[in-house]
Amino acid sequence: MTKLRTFFITLLLFAFSFGAYSQTKISGKVIDERSKEAIIGASVVVKSTAVGATTDSNGDFTLTSSLKIPLTLTVNFIGYQPQEIEVYDASAPVDIALREDVNLLNELVVTALGISRTKKTLGYATQEVKGENIDGKSSTNIINALAGKAAGVRINNAQGDMGAARIVIRGETSIAGNNQPLFVVDGVPADNSQILAATGRDQSRDFRNAIADLNPEDIESLNVLKGPNAAALYGSRAAHGVVLITTKKGSKHQRGLGIDVNAGITLATVATLPEFQNYFGQGSNGKFSYVNGKGGGVNDGVDESWGPRLDVGLLIPQFDSNGKPAPWVSHPNNVRDFFETGVTQDYGISISNADDKFNFRLGANYQDQTGTLPNTEIKKTNFTLNADYQLSKRVKVGANVNYILTDAPNVPSGGSPTGSNYRASSIMLQFLWFGRQVDTKALKEGYTTNRNWNASYYDNPYWESYFNTTSQERNRILGNVHFSVNLLDGLDFRFRSGTDYYNDRRKYKIKTGSSGAGSPDGSYAEDAYTLSESNTEALLSFVRTFSDDWDVDALAGFNVRDNSYANNWQKATRLAAPDLYTLSNSKDPLESANSFQRLRVYSGFASAQVGFRNFAYLNITGRNDWSSTLPSHNRSYFYPSATASLILSEALDIKSNALSFLKLRSGWAEVGNDADPYQLITVYNSQTAFDGNPIQTSSKTKNNPDIRPERTQSTEIGAEAGFFNNRLHVDFAWYNTNSIDQILRVQTSAASGYDYQLINAGKINNRGVELQINGTPVKTKDFTWDVGVNYAAYRSKVVKLDDAGALLRYVIGQTGPQIVAAVGERYGAIFGTAYRRDASGNILIGDNGLPLTDPTNKILGYYTPDWTGAFTTDFSYKGFKLSALIDASFGGSLFSSSSQTGVYAGVYAGTEVGRSAEFGGLTWADADGTRDDGMIFAGTVQSTGLPNEKIISAQSYYAATYGVHEQHVFDASYIKLREIRLAYVFNKKQIRKLGLGAVTVAAVVRNAAILYRDKDLNMDPEAALNTSNVQGVEALTRPTTRSFGLSVNLSF
Amino acid sequence: MNMKKNIYLPAILIAFVFAACSETLDDINSNPNATANPNPAYLLTGVEKQGADLYWGSSADYGGALLFVQHWAAIQYGDVDRYNFTNTTGIVTTPWNTGYTTLITDLNTILEHADASVNTKGAALTLRAWVFELLTELYGEIPYTDVGKSIVPVYNTQQEVYAALQTDLSQALTSLNTTNGAIDGDLVYGGDVDKWRKFAASLKLRLALRTADRDDAGAKQIIAALNVSELISNNSEIFQFVYTARPQNNPQEEHFLTRNDYRLSKTIVDKLKALADPRLPVYAALPEDPTVTTYEGGANGLSNSDASSQGFDKLSRPGAYFLNATAPAVIYTYAEVLFNLAEAAQRGYISGSAETYYRQAITASLNQFGITNTTDIADYLAQSSVTYDAANWKQSIGEQKWIAFFGQGLDAFAEWRRLDYPVLTAGNASLLNGKIPLRVFYPGTEQSLNGTNRAAAVARQGEDLLTTKLWFDVH
Repeated sequence: MTKLRTFFITLLLFAFSFGAYSQTKISGKVIDERSKEAIIGASVVVKSTAVGATTDSNGDFTLTSSLKIPLTLTVNFIGYQPQEIEVYDASAPVDIALREDVNLLNELVVTALGISRTKKTLGYATQEVKGENIDGKSSTNIINALAGKAAGVRINNAQGDMGAARIVIRGETSIAGNNQPLFVVDGVPADNSQILAATGRDQSRDFRNAIADLNPEDIESLNVLKGPNAAALYGSRAAHGVVLITTKKGSKHQRGLGIDVNAGITLATVATLPEFQNYFGQGSNGKFSYVNGKGGGVNDGVDESWGPRLDVGLLIPQFDSNGKPAPWVSHPNNVRDFFETGVTQDYGISISNADDKFNFRLGANYQDQTGTLPNTEIKKTNFTLNADYQLSKRVKVGANVNYILTDAPNVPSGGSPTGSNYRASSIMLQFLWFGRQVDTKALKEGYTTNRNWNASYYDNPYWESYFNTTSQERNRILGNVHFSVNLLDGLDFRFRSGTDYYNDRRKYKIKTGSSGAGSPDGSYAEDAYTLSESNTEALLSFVRTFSDDWDVDALAGFNVRDNSYANNWQKATRLAAPDLYTLSNSKDPLESANSFQRLRVYSGFASAQVGFRNFAYLNITGRNDWSSTLPSHNRSYFYPSATASLILSEALDIKSNALSFLKLRSGWAEVGNDADPYQLITVYNSQTAFDGNPIQTSSKTKNNPDIRPERTQSTEIGAEAGFFNNRLHVDFAWYNTNSIDQILRVQTSAASGYDYQLINAGKINNRGVELQINGTPVKTKDFTWDVGVNYAAYRSKVVKLDDAGALLRYVIGQTGPQIVAAVGERYGAIFGTAYRRDASGNILIGDNGLPLTDPTNKILGYYTPDWTGAFTTDFSYKGFKLSALIDASFGGSLFSSSSQTGVYAGVYAGTEVGRSAEFGGLTWADADGTRDDGMIFAGTVQSTGLPNEKIISAQSYYAATYGVHEQHVFDASYIKLREIRLAYVFNKKQIRKLGLGAVTVAAVVRNAAILYRDKDLNMDPEAALNTSNVQGVEALTRPTTRSFGLSVNLSF
Repeated sequence: MNMKKNIYLPAILIAFVFAACSETLDDINSNPNATANPNPAYLLTGVEKQGADLYWGSSADYGGALLFVQHWAAIQYGDVDRYNFTNTTGIVTTPWNTGYTTLITDLNTILEHADASVNTKGAALTLRAWVFELLTELYGEIPYTDVGKSIVPVYNTQQEVYAALQTDLSQALTSLNTTNGAIDGDLVYGGDVDKWRKFAASLKLRLALRTADRDDAGAKQIIAALNVSELISNNSEIFQFVYTARPQNNPQEEHFLTRNDYRLSKTIVDKLKALADPRLPVYAALPEDPTVTTYEGGANGLSNSDASSQGFDKLSRPGAYFLNATAPAVIYTYAEVLFNLAEAAQRGYISGSAETYYRQAITASLNQFGITNTTDIADYLAQSSVTYDAANWKQSIGEQKWIAFFGQGLDAFAEWRRLDYPVLTAGNASLLNGKIPLRVFYPGTEQSLNGTNRAAAVARQGEDLLTTKLWFDVH
C-alpha cells in the first residue's frame, strides 16, 4: 500500500517536472484543523490533472500548473477527510486545514480497560464525544452535556441545572439495581451515586450526582460503551454500559508557553413554572379574612385558593395589612417573582507541555454557582495533574490526580413525595398549596420575623431559604499511579493502582421559630458520608503481526477492587438556645445512626483479538470474579464474550466513491453481577433505647444465604457504512439483552413477615435499535454544514419475577401510585387508582355526585419512552461555528403529584372554570342559599345507570380528582431545543500579534425552548424526584431552568 | 534497566497486593451494622413501644378509627373523615405493615428464640394474639397460618383467626407461670407474670364476646371457664404503655406540637355535655379563642371549606390529660373488663348482675380519668340516660363503652360495629352515601404482591369496600 502510494507520488512529481513550462505557481501549507499542526506528506493535486506536490516537513508545498486560475486543488492524507479547495488568487499562500476523518479506517477509540483500538476492529457499537463538544460552560453537570449527543443515551435532568441528572444507556435492564452506567476516569472507576438523606431523616435536597464533580474543561473525550458487548471486560458493573472519561494530557507545543486560560459566566432563569389562575384568592367557599393565619379569622388557616374573587374592588384583611382591610388584588407573577437569576462564574487555568521523555498538564478551576432559589450556592474547586515520564527505554511511569473540593453553603431543595417528613423544605409545597393573592414583596419584607400568609404549616419562603439551610461539603480525590514495562517486542506489562475517595458532610439547620419544618424549637443535624473505591490492576499485553495475513492482540490481567461506605448521622431534635447550631445544644438526647459497608472483588480476565488481512477480526474475552458479597459456595463466577467485525468494503474490494466504507459487526456477551454487601444473613436493627431500655427490631428484609450471581446476556448486530467519501456516515445497531437470575430484593406482602426478601429470580428482556446518521451536505473552503440525527427505540419487558410465578409485580417505588415491574409488561409501569367505569367506559358517579374510584388498581402508563432521538446541526464559516441540538422523547408517561395538589388547592390555571356564573358555574342551592359555583361531574350514576345531573360545588368537583391517580397521569413526550451554541475562533495571525496562541469566544443557550409537550401537563415533562429507578413520578418538583452563557478561552 | 529487573518489579508488586489482601472475603462480608442474634428482652421492649405507637398513633388511631367513631374530627385535610381515601392511605397500610413486619415478626422471633424464657414466650404469644385481633377487626380475613412461611400467604377466615387466637391465648396462659423465668424488657408490667396472666385472660374474654353473635355456645364455654379474679381487676392493672419525655413522648402530643388538623368531634362533645359527664373537661380543652367559654366539637365529614369555616380557634383540642408527653397509650382497661363482664352476665355466660358490672365499669372509667368524688359519681350514675337498660343492653353498654374508650379508636370501632351503638351519623360531605366504614381496604400492595390470595379472600368475604360487613359484625 505504502509502496504503491510512494510510487504514485513519485509519478506525480515526475509529471510535474515535465510541466515546468506552466504559468500558475501555487504555494501554501497543510495543517491539522484541530491541532493546527503541520501535516507532513500530504498530497496536493490539481484536480483533473496529474500535477501535484507533497508537503514537506513544515507542511509547506509549492506546485506549478499549466491551468489558469481559478483552479481546484484536491488534498489527501491518510486518516483525514479529502478536501477540495478553489484557488482564486495564486499570489497569496493557500492554507488548507484537514479534518481528521472519524469515519476512516484507522480511527482509534478507547475501549474497555482504557485500551486504544482501531474502531474498525470492534464488534460492537461505541460512541465518542470529544471534549470540544462538551460545553462546560452551559451546564455545571457533565451528564447534561451528553444529552442528545449519542443514540440510545437518555439523560434526565429533572430539576434545573444545579442538581442531579440521571443517565441510562439503552434502557433499563435491571429490575431492582442501579441502571446507570459505570463511570471510568483514566482507567479508574469513579463513583456517580446520588446520596440522598435516608428516608425519614431530614430535609430533601437535590444533591448532585457525584460524577458532576468533574470539570468539563479537563476532559479530552467521553466514550460511551453501550452495554455488555462493549464492556464485558469490566464485568459486574458493565451490564448498563460504561462511560469512559479520558482527561487531557500535556502535548508538545509548536510555539507558546502552553498556558490555557478560560472564563465564563452563565445566567439561569426559571423556564417552566406551572400556569396559575389569578381570579380567586385564598380561602374556602368564597370566604376569607386574615387574623392569625391559623384559623383565627375566616378560613385563614386554609392553604387553598377557593376564596373571594380577586380584582373586583374587595377590601379584605390580609397577612401584610396589619389587620386592616386591604385591596384584594391578584399578583399573577407571585411565584415567579420568588425565583432569582442564578449566576455561574467559572475560571480556569492550565499549563501543559511535553517533550520526548515526559508530558504533563496541571490545571485549576474555580466555579461558583448560585441558583434560581434564593440563597442557594455551590462552590467547586478542581485541581488536576496528569504526568507521564519515560524512565528508560522500556519503562514508563505516570500519575493522574484530581482533587475536587465542593463547598455548598445551601443546596437547593428538590421535590418530595406525599407523606415524606421533609416536605416542608420543598419550596414548591407552599406555592401549590397557596393563596393566589399573596404578594411576594410583602413576604420578603417580613421574612426575618417569619411573617407568612399561613402560619399553620409553612414558614415564610424566604425564612425557609435563608435560615433553614442544608450545606454540603465534599472533599474528593480521584486518581491513579501507573507504570508500564516493555518486556519484549510486543509484550508489555502494565500496573495501575487507583482510588476514588471522598468525604461528604451535610449540615441541616432549622431555625427556632419555624412552624413548617418539624420542631418549633428548631433542630440541627449532621450527616457525614465517606465513600471509597480502589482498584489495583496488573496487565500483560501482547501485540504481534505474524504475517501479512494474521495479527494478534491479546492481554491477561488481574484486578483487586475494594469498596467502602460509611455514614454517621446525628440530630439535635430541639435546640436549647436558638441559632446555636451544635449537637450539644439539644433539649433532648441526640438521635443518631451509623452504618458501614465494605466489599472486595478479585478478578482475573483475558482477551484475545485475531485479525485477518485487516478486514476480519474476532475478539474473545473471559473474566472470572470472586466477590465477598456472595456466599463462599457461589462466590466464583466466570463469563465470556465473543465479538466479530468484518470490513466488507475491504474484504470484497467494493470501495467506490458512492460507498466508501462498509462494516458488519456482531457479538454475544455475558456479564455476571454480585450482590450488595451483607445480604446473606437476616439481621435485626437497634433503635434508640426507650428510657434506658434497648430496642431491637426486625430489619424487615429476609436475606438469603444461598444467593447466586446474576447474569446478563446480550446479543448485538450492527453495520456501519460510509458514502460519498464518507461525507455521509450511517451506523445501525440492534441488540437483545436478557438479564436473568437477578438478585432481587423483592417487596413481598407484609403478611409474609417481611417487606422484602432476597431472591434470585426474574428475567427482563431489553431489545432495541439505534441509528446514527452523520452527514456533511455542504463543504467548501470556508463553509461547512454538518448534520447529525440519532434515533433509539427500545423496550424493556419484564418476562418473569420469581420462578414459581407467584409474584406478579415488583414494586420499584411508591409516590402516590406505585412504579412497578409487572410480569408481561414494559418496565416502569405506573400502577395506581383509576376511576370506576361501566362497561362502555363511562365514569361511574355516586348518588352524591362524586366520581367513584375503582377498588382495583390499574396500569396508568409507563415511564420508559417508546423512542428517543436527537437532531444536531453545525454550521462553520471561517472562524464562526453555530450549532444547535434538538432532542426528543416520545411515549413515556408522568404522574404529577403537583397537579394533584394544584387542582385540589384551586391554584392551577383552569380551576377557575365553574367557580361563578362568570366562569360558567351552574346555579344551585344548598343550606346556605343559592350559589353560582355548580358543576356536574360527567359520568353515569351507578345506582340508576342514568347520566349524572347532580350539581356539586366547584371546590368539591376539583377536590374529587385528588385521590384518582389516573386524572394526574400525563404524556411525558417532548421535543426540546436543548442547546444553541455560537463560537468564534479568532484568526491566528491577528492573535499572534497580541502574543496569544488561540482565542475562542462562545455563547450558549441551554434548554432554550420546549417545542412540544402535553399541554395539560403543567410543567417540564422531564420532571422526576431523583436519579433512582423511581421515575415517571414527580411531586413538588423545582422548576427547570433556561441558561445563557458566555465564555472565553485563551491560549498563550 | 536490564530484563531481569523488568520481571522482578511486577512480581514484587503482585506479591505486595496479595499480602495486603490477607482478610478473607467472608470476613469482609460480615455485617458490622446489625446483629443476626437479637436479645429477646430488647425485642419485647420494641414490640411494646411500637405496638403502642401503632394503637395510639396517627394512621390507625387519630387519623383513622378515632374519626370513624367520631371521637375526633378533622378540621383540615379531612379526606379520611369523609371516607375519601384509597388503599394507599395510612389507615389502610400502616396497621398492616407495622402489624406484620414489625410486631408479629419480632414476636415470632421471640417465640423461636432459644434464650427466651417460657414466660417471655407466653407474653409474646399474648401480644401476638392482640396484634392479630387488631388486624382481623380492621380488614376481616387476614393471613394467619402462613405468616412467616410463604411469600404469598393464604388468607384465613375471620372465624379461623378468632379460634386460633383463643388457642394461642390458652397456650400463653399455660406458659405464664411464676416458675417459668423472668420476662425481661417488659415496660408495661415490669415482668409481673400474674399481671400478664390477667391480660391474657382478659383478651380471651374480649375475643370471645367479639364472636358471641356468631357462636353463642362457643363464647359461653370460653368465658365460663375464666376466673373473674384472674382478669384485670383494678385501674393499676390496666395494660398501657407509658411514654416519657420527648422524643419518646406520646404520639398525640407530638402531633399537636407541629400540626393543626384535628379537634374533638362534635358527636362526643355533645354527648358528654348532654350527660353532664365529668370526663368532658378531661377529654377536651377549652378552645383557644378566649371568647368561647364552652367545650365545642367539630363536625365530622364536612367538606374542607365547611370544616375550616367552623374556626380552628373555636373548637376544642383534646384535654391536657391526653396532650401530655408522658400520657399513656391505653390498650386494655379495667373498665372494659367490667363492661365485658356486664355483657357476659347479660348473655347468661356468667353469674352476677349485669347492671352491677355496668355501674362498676362506669365508675372504673371515671376513676381512671381522675374523677373520684363519690357524690359526683353517684349523681352521674343516677341519671336516667345513664341507667342500665337490660331490655336494650346493647345501647347502654355500647354508649358507655364508647365514651370509656375515648382515644382507643380501634377498639371503639370494633365494638361500635358489633353493638351498633351509639347511633352515629356520617358527615354531610362523606362519600359512602350516608354510611360509615365497617372495615378498611386491603393495602394496595396486596394487589401487587399477593393478588391471588387477596382475590380469594375478597371472593369469600365480599367486595373490597369500606362498607363490606365483616364476619364478626352480624347486625
